[in-house]
Amino acid sequence: MHAEGIFLQLAVLGCKASLAVLLLAAGGAKLADLAGFASTVRLFVPGRLPRALAISPVLAAAIAAGEVLAGAASLSMPAAGWLNPVVLAICCCFAVAWTVGYVRHAGRACRCFGALSRQRFTVAGIGRAVGLTLAAAAATAGVPQVSIELSLLTRLGLLGGGALVAMAAFSAAAAAGARREPEPA
Amino acid sequence: MIAAAIGFVGIAVILCVAAVFGLLGVGQIALSGADAIERDGLARGRPAPRWSLADSRGVVRSSPPASKLQLIVFADHSLKSFPSVVAGLRELSHRGDVEIVILTRGRHEGAEALIDQLGLGAVAVLAGSAAIYGRYNVRVMPFAIFVDSAGLVRASSLVNHDWQIAKLRQVAEIPLEADELPGGSSTRIASAV
Repeated sequence: MHAEGIFLQLAVLGCKASLAVLLLAAGGAKLADLAGFASTVRLFVPGRLPRALAISPVLAAAIAAGEVLAGAASLSMPAAGWLNPVVLAICCCFAVAWTVGYVRHAGRACRCFGALSRQRFTVAGIGRAVGLTLAAAAATAGVPQVSIELSLLTRLGLLGGGALVAMAAFSAAAAAGARREPEPA
Repeated sequence: MIAAAIGFVGIAVILCVAAVFGLLGVGQIALSGADAIERDGLARGRPAPRWSLADSRGVVRSSPPASKLQLIVFADHSLKSFPSVVAGLRELSHRGDVEIVILTRGRHEGAEALIDQLGLGAVAVLAGSAAIYGRYNVRVMPFAIFVDSAGLVRASSLVNHDWQIAKLRQVAEIPLEADELPGGSSTRIASAV
Protein backbone atom coordinates (compact mmCIF):
# COMPACT_ATOMS: atom_id res chain seq x y z
CA MET A 1 0.00 0.00 0.00
CA HIS A 2 1.33 3.44 -0.90
CA ALA A 3 0.07 6.70 0.62
CA GLU A 4 -1.04 9.11 -2.08
CA GLY A 5 -1.51 12.80 -1.42
CA ILE A 6 0.16 15.20 0.94
CA PHE A 7 -2.11 14.73 3.93
CA LEU A 8 -2.01 10.96 3.81
CA GLN A 9 1.77 11.01 3.59
CA LEU A 10 1.97 13.41 6.54
CA ALA A 11 -0.36 11.14 8.49
CA VAL A 12 1.79 8.08 7.78
CA LEU A 13 4.98 9.91 8.75
CA GLY A 14 3.28 11.27 11.86
CA CYS A 15 2.15 7.78 12.92
CA LYS A 16 5.63 6.39 12.35
CA ALA A 17 7.38 9.13 14.33
CA SER A 18 4.75 9.18 17.09
CA LEU A 19 5.01 5.45 17.68
CA ALA A 20 8.81 5.65 17.78
CA VAL A 21 8.71 8.44 20.38
CA LEU A 22 6.00 6.60 22.33
CA LEU A 23 8.09 3.43 22.47
CA LEU A 24 11.13 5.37 23.64
CA ALA A 25 9.16 7.11 26.39
CA ALA A 26 7.41 3.92 27.49
CA GLY A 27 10.63 1.91 27.53
CA GLY A 28 12.59 4.63 29.34
CA ALA A 29 9.90 5.00 32.00
CA LYS A 30 9.67 1.23 32.51
CA LEU A 31 13.43 0.99 32.98
CA ALA A 32 13.17 3.39 35.92
CA ASP A 33 10.65 1.15 37.68
CA LEU A 34 11.59 -2.38 36.65
CA ALA A 35 10.46 -3.89 39.94
CA GLY A 36 7.02 -2.33 39.57
CA PHE A 37 6.71 -3.35 35.93
CA ALA A 38 7.85 -6.88 36.81
CA SER A 39 4.87 -7.16 39.15
CA THR A 40 2.60 -6.44 36.15
CA VAL A 41 4.51 -8.89 33.94
CA ARG A 42 4.03 -11.52 36.65
CA LEU A 43 0.28 -11.34 36.02
CA PHE A 44 0.83 -12.65 32.50
CA VAL A 45 3.45 -15.30 33.16
CA PRO A 46 1.87 -18.75 33.23
CA GLY A 47 3.07 -21.39 35.62
CA ARG A 48 3.52 -21.76 39.29
CA LEU A 49 4.39 -18.77 41.41
CA PRO A 50 8.12 -19.36 42.08
CA ARG A 51 8.82 -19.71 38.35
CA ALA A 52 6.81 -16.60 37.55
CA LEU A 53 8.68 -14.72 40.25
CA ALA A 54 12.01 -15.75 38.76
CA ILE A 55 11.16 -14.98 35.14
CA SER A 56 9.16 -11.78 35.44
CA PRO A 57 12.06 -9.38 36.29
CA VAL A 58 14.03 -10.69 33.31
CA LEU A 59 11.01 -10.40 31.04
CA ALA A 60 10.27 -6.91 32.35
CA ALA A 61 13.82 -5.77 31.61
CA ALA A 62 13.72 -7.38 28.16
CA ILE A 63 10.40 -5.73 27.28
CA ALA A 64 11.57 -2.31 28.45
CA ALA A 65 14.89 -2.58 26.63
CA GLY A 66 13.13 -3.93 23.54
CA GLU A 67 10.80 -0.95 23.46
CA VAL A 68 13.69 1.47 23.71
CA LEU A 69 15.62 -0.33 20.96
CA ALA A 70 12.60 -0.57 18.67
CA GLY A 71 11.78 3.09 19.23
CA ALA A 72 15.35 4.21 18.64
CA ALA A 73 15.66 2.11 15.49
CA SER A 74 12.31 3.27 14.16
CA LEU A 75 13.20 6.90 14.81
CA SER A 76 16.68 6.82 13.33
CA MET A 77 16.07 4.38 10.47
CA PRO A 78 12.65 5.24 9.04
CA ALA A 79 13.58 3.83 5.66
CA ALA A 80 14.13 0.34 7.08
CA GLY A 81 10.95 -1.39 5.92
CA TRP A 82 11.35 -4.40 8.22
CA LEU A 83 10.91 -2.17 11.28
CA ASN A 84 7.29 -1.35 10.40
CA PRO A 85 6.00 -4.91 10.95
CA VAL A 86 8.08 -5.15 14.13
CA VAL A 87 6.43 -2.03 15.55
CA LEU A 88 3.04 -3.34 14.38
CA ALA A 89 3.71 -6.64 16.18
CA ILE A 90 4.66 -4.76 19.36
CA CYS A 91 1.43 -2.76 19.19
CA CYS A 92 -0.54 -5.97 18.62
CA CYS A 93 1.09 -7.33 21.78
CA PHE A 94 -0.05 -4.18 23.63
CA ALA A 95 -3.63 -4.74 22.46
CA VAL A 96 -3.56 -8.42 23.45
CA ALA A 97 -1.96 -7.64 26.83
CA TRP A 98 -4.58 -4.98 27.54
CA THR A 99 -7.42 -7.29 26.56
CA VAL A 100 -6.12 -10.17 28.68
CA GLY A 101 -5.32 -7.74 31.48
CA TYR A 102 -8.85 -6.36 31.42
CA VAL A 103 -10.44 -9.82 31.32
CA ARG A 104 -8.29 -11.39 34.02
CA HIS A 105 -6.84 -8.56 36.06
CA ALA A 106 -9.22 -5.60 35.75
CA GLY A 107 -8.31 -2.92 38.27
CA ARG A 108 -4.63 -3.82 38.41
CA ALA A 109 -2.07 -1.21 37.35
CA CYS A 110 -0.72 -1.58 33.81
CA ARG A 111 2.53 0.34 34.41
CA CYS A 112 2.83 0.90 30.65
CA PHE A 113 4.83 4.03 31.47
CA GLY A 114 6.37 2.70 34.67
CA ALA A 115 5.57 4.81 37.70
CA LEU A 116 4.17 7.53 35.42
CA SER A 117 1.13 5.34 34.65
CA ARG A 118 -1.85 5.65 36.90
CA GLN A 119 -3.86 3.63 34.35
CA ARG A 120 -5.45 0.34 35.22
CA PHE A 121 -6.70 -2.29 32.80
CA THR A 122 -9.92 -0.80 31.44
CA VAL A 123 -12.00 -0.88 28.26
CA ALA A 124 -10.71 2.60 27.40
CA GLY A 125 -7.19 1.23 27.62
CA ILE A 126 -8.05 -1.52 25.16
CA GLY A 127 -9.39 1.17 22.84
CA ARG A 128 -6.12 3.10 23.12
CA ALA A 129 -4.09 -0.05 22.42
CA VAL A 130 -6.23 -0.81 19.37
CA GLY A 131 -5.73 2.80 18.24
CA LEU A 132 -1.96 2.33 18.52
CA THR A 133 -2.21 -0.86 16.50
CA LEU A 134 -4.17 0.95 13.78
CA ALA A 135 -1.55 3.72 13.77
CA ALA A 136 1.19 1.09 13.45
CA ALA A 137 -0.70 -0.50 10.58
CA ALA A 138 -1.02 2.90 8.90
CA ALA A 139 2.72 3.46 9.38
CA THR A 140 3.43 0.44 7.19
CA ALA A 141 2.08 2.33 4.16
CA GLY A 142 4.69 3.47 1.69
CA VAL A 143 5.76 7.12 1.44
CA PRO A 144 8.08 8.91 -1.00
CA GLN A 145 11.61 7.70 -0.33
CA VAL A 146 12.92 11.27 -0.27
CA SER A 147 11.05 12.01 2.96
CA ILE A 148 12.55 9.08 4.89
CA GLU A 149 15.99 8.75 3.31
CA LEU A 150 18.33 10.23 5.92
CA SER A 151 22.02 11.01 6.03
CA LEU A 152 24.19 9.48 8.74
CA LEU A 153 24.40 12.82 10.54
CA THR A 154 20.62 13.19 10.57
CA ARG A 155 20.22 9.65 11.88
CA LEU A 156 22.67 10.35 14.66
CA GLY A 157 20.83 13.55 15.47
CA LEU A 158 17.51 11.71 15.69
CA LEU A 159 19.13 9.00 17.77
CA GLY A 160 20.34 11.71 20.15
CA GLY A 161 16.82 13.15 20.29
CA GLY A 162 15.44 9.71 21.00
CA ALA A 163 17.97 9.21 23.77
CA LEU A 164 16.85 12.49 25.31
CA VAL A 165 13.23 11.32 25.23
CA ALA A 166 14.12 8.02 26.91
CA MET A 167 16.23 9.78 29.55
CA ALA A 168 13.49 12.34 30.24
CA ALA A 169 10.99 9.50 30.66
CA PHE A 170 13.41 7.64 32.94
CA SER A 171 13.95 10.74 35.10
CA ALA A 172 10.25 11.58 35.30
CA ALA A 173 9.32 8.00 36.18
CA ALA A 174 12.09 7.82 38.77
CA ALA A 175 10.78 11.00 40.37
CA ALA A 176 7.20 9.73 40.32
CA GLY A 177 8.27 6.35 41.70
CA ALA A 178 10.18 7.93 44.55
CA ARG A 179 7.10 9.99 45.37
CA ARG A 180 4.68 7.08 45.47
CA GLU A 181 6.72 4.33 47.02
CA PRO A 182 8.98 5.69 49.75
CA GLU A 183 11.56 3.25 50.99
CA PRO A 184 10.87 1.84 54.41
CA ALA A 185 12.89 3.32 57.23
CA MET B 1 6.15 17.49 -2.28
CA ILE B 2 5.35 19.42 0.89
CA ALA B 3 5.36 16.17 2.81
CA ALA B 4 8.72 15.34 1.32
CA ALA B 5 10.03 18.78 2.23
CA ILE B 6 8.86 18.56 5.81
CA GLY B 7 9.62 14.87 5.86
CA PHE B 8 10.01 12.48 8.67
CA VAL B 9 12.80 14.49 10.31
CA GLY B 10 10.68 17.59 10.85
CA ILE B 11 7.85 15.63 12.44
CA ALA B 12 10.23 13.53 14.53
CA VAL B 13 12.09 16.57 15.84
CA ILE B 14 8.85 18.31 16.81
CA LEU B 15 7.60 15.19 18.58
CA CYS B 16 10.90 14.63 20.40
CA VAL B 17 11.01 18.21 21.65
CA ALA B 18 7.37 18.04 22.77
CA ALA B 19 7.94 14.69 24.50
CA VAL B 20 11.07 15.87 26.32
CA PHE B 21 9.41 19.06 27.57
CA GLY B 22 6.26 17.17 28.51
CA LEU B 23 8.14 14.49 30.42
CA LEU B 24 10.35 17.02 32.18
CA GLY B 25 7.19 18.86 33.21
CA VAL B 26 5.71 15.65 34.58
CA GLY B 27 8.94 15.00 36.48
CA GLN B 28 8.93 18.52 37.88
CA ILE B 29 5.35 18.10 39.06
CA ALA B 30 6.25 14.78 40.64
CA LEU B 31 9.13 16.39 42.52
CA SER B 32 7.40 19.57 43.63
CA GLY B 33 3.80 18.47 44.08
CA ALA B 34 2.02 18.20 47.39
CA ASP B 35 2.64 14.45 47.49
CA ALA B 36 6.35 14.87 46.95
CA ILE B 37 6.73 16.98 50.03
CA GLU B 38 6.02 13.82 52.03
CA ARG B 39 8.34 11.58 50.03
CA ASP B 40 10.61 11.05 53.01
CA GLY B 41 9.55 11.67 56.54
CA LEU B 42 6.05 10.75 57.67
CA ALA B 43 2.77 11.22 55.86
CA ARG B 44 0.48 14.02 56.91
CA GLY B 45 -1.98 12.97 59.60
CA ARG B 46 0.14 10.06 60.80
CA PRO B 47 0.97 9.85 64.53
CA ALA B 48 4.45 11.25 65.17
CA PRO B 49 6.95 9.39 67.37
CA ARG B 50 6.91 10.42 71.02
CA TRP B 51 10.10 11.34 72.83
CA SER B 52 11.55 13.52 75.56
CA LEU B 53 15.10 14.81 75.35
CA ALA B 54 17.07 17.23 77.47
CA ASP B 55 19.20 19.94 75.90
CA SER B 56 22.68 20.81 77.19
CA ARG B 57 21.19 23.09 79.87
CA GLY B 58 19.03 20.25 81.16
CA VAL B 59 15.77 21.66 79.83
CA VAL B 60 13.55 18.79 78.75
CA ARG B 61 11.76 19.11 75.41
CA SER B 62 9.06 16.70 74.34
CA SER B 63 7.29 15.72 71.21
CA PRO B 64 4.42 16.13 70.68
CA PRO B 65 4.52 19.63 72.16
CA ALA B 66 2.24 20.53 75.04
CA SER B 67 0.46 23.37 73.29
CA LYS B 68 2.36 24.91 70.39
CA LEU B 69 2.93 23.56 66.96
CA GLN B 70 6.42 22.04 66.83
CA LEU B 71 8.88 22.17 63.95
CA ILE B 72 11.49 19.44 64.27
CA VAL B 73 14.52 20.21 62.12
CA PHE B 74 16.76 17.25 61.42
CA ALA B 75 20.14 18.87 60.85
CA ASP B 76 23.74 19.11 61.95
CA HIS B 77 26.64 21.53 61.37
CA SER B 78 25.91 21.33 57.63
CA LEU B 79 22.92 23.60 58.24
CA LYS B 80 25.32 26.54 57.79
CA SER B 81 25.57 25.55 54.13
CA PHE B 82 21.90 26.42 53.66
CA PRO B 83 21.67 30.15 54.47
CA SER B 84 18.19 30.56 53.01
CA VAL B 85 16.93 27.73 55.21
CA VAL B 86 18.55 29.36 58.24
CA ALA B 87 16.88 32.65 57.31
CA GLY B 88 13.51 30.89 57.02
CA LEU B 89 13.97 29.23 60.41
CA ARG B 90 15.07 32.52 61.96
CA GLU B 91 11.93 34.17 60.67
CA LEU B 92 9.78 31.34 61.97
CA SER B 93 11.50 31.40 65.38
CA HIS B 94 10.26 34.95 65.92
CA ARG B 95 6.68 33.70 65.88
CA GLY B 96 5.24 32.71 69.21
CA ASP B 97 3.11 29.87 67.95
CA VAL B 98 5.79 27.53 66.61
CA GLU B 99 8.35 25.76 68.78
CA ILE B 100 11.45 24.92 66.76
CA VAL B 101 13.84 22.19 67.84
CA ILE B 102 16.94 21.04 65.99
CA LEU B 103 17.49 17.32 66.31
CA THR B 104 21.02 16.18 65.50
CA ARG B 105 21.92 12.60 64.65
CA GLY B 106 23.98 11.92 67.76
CA ARG B 107 25.83 14.34 70.01
CA HIS B 108 27.83 17.01 68.21
CA GLU B 109 30.30 19.14 70.13
CA GLY B 110 29.83 22.78 69.33
CA ALA B 111 26.47 22.30 67.65
CA GLU B 112 24.76 24.76 69.98
CA ALA B 113 27.48 27.37 69.50
CA LEU B 114 27.13 27.03 65.74
CA ILE B 115 23.34 27.33 65.86
CA ASP B 116 23.80 30.42 68.04
CA GLN B 117 26.20 31.89 65.46
CA LEU B 118 23.57 31.36 62.81
CA GLY B 119 21.19 33.60 64.73
CA LEU B 120 19.05 30.73 65.96
CA GLY B 121 19.91 31.16 69.63
CA ALA B 122 16.30 30.75 70.72
CA VAL B 123 16.09 27.35 69.08
CA ALA B 124 16.69 24.24 71.20
CA VAL B 125 19.37 21.85 70.01
CA LEU B 126 18.80 18.24 71.01
CA ALA B 127 21.04 15.24 70.55
CA GLY B 128 18.97 12.67 68.73
CA SER B 129 20.06 9.33 67.38
CA ALA B 130 20.00 7.25 64.23
CA ALA B 131 17.09 5.33 65.76
CA ILE B 132 15.00 8.49 66.13
CA TYR B 133 15.88 9.51 62.56
CA GLY B 134 14.73 6.06 61.47
CA ARG B 135 11.41 6.41 63.30
CA TYR B 136 10.79 9.62 61.37
CA ASN B 137 11.99 8.01 58.10
CA VAL B 138 14.56 10.78 57.69
CA ARG B 139 17.55 9.84 55.59
CA VAL B 140 18.71 13.21 54.33
CA MET B 141 19.40 16.54 55.99
CA PRO B 142 18.25 19.18 56.51
CA PHE B 143 14.77 17.77 56.90
CA ALA B 144 11.84 19.32 58.71
CA ILE B 145 8.63 17.94 60.18
CA PHE B 146 5.74 19.89 61.68
CA VAL B 147 4.03 18.09 64.56
CA ASP B 148 0.91 19.45 66.23
CA SER B 149 -0.04 19.21 69.90
CA ALA B 150 -2.29 16.22 69.14
CA GLY B 151 0.85 14.34 68.13
CA LEU B 152 0.01 14.22 64.43
CA VAL B 153 2.33 15.07 61.58
CA ARG B 154 1.16 18.22 59.81
CA ALA B 155 3.80 18.24 57.06
CA SER B 156 7.28 16.98 56.35
CA SER B 157 9.86 17.79 53.73
CA LEU B 158 13.46 18.03 52.80
CA VAL B 159 14.42 21.69 53.19
CA ASN B 160 17.28 22.86 51.00
CA HIS B 161 15.77 26.24 50.20
CA ASP B 162 13.59 28.78 51.93
CA TRP B 163 10.75 28.16 49.47
CA GLN B 164 10.53 24.61 50.82
CA ILE B 165 9.97 26.00 54.31
CA ALA B 166 7.27 28.23 52.88
CA LYS B 167 5.73 25.22 51.13
CA LEU B 168 5.94 23.23 54.33
CA ARG B 169 4.14 25.99 56.20
CA GLN B 170 1.49 26.00 53.51
CA VAL B 171 0.95 22.26 53.83
CA ALA B 172 0.94 22.52 57.62
CA GLU B 173 -1.69 25.26 57.28
CA ILE B 174 0.22 27.76 59.38
CA PRO B 175 -1.43 31.18 59.06
CA LEU B 176 0.69 33.97 57.63
CA GLU B 177 1.56 36.90 59.87
CA ALA B 178 0.27 40.30 58.82
CA ASP B 179 3.68 41.49 57.64
CA GLU B 180 4.09 38.38 55.49
CA LEU B 181 0.97 39.06 53.47
CA PRO B 182 1.24 40.81 50.11
CA GLY B 183 0.57 44.51 50.69
CA GLY B 184 0.87 44.09 54.46
CA SER B 185 -2.78 43.36 55.06
CA SER B 186 -3.61 42.72 58.68
CA THR B 187 -5.86 39.80 57.85
CA ARG B 188 -4.57 36.41 58.95
CA ILE B 189 -5.19 33.66 56.45
CA ALA B 190 -4.75 29.94 56.57
CA SER B 191 -2.98 28.79 53.45
CA ALA B 192 -4.70 25.93 51.74
CA VAL B 193 -2.95 23.31 49.63
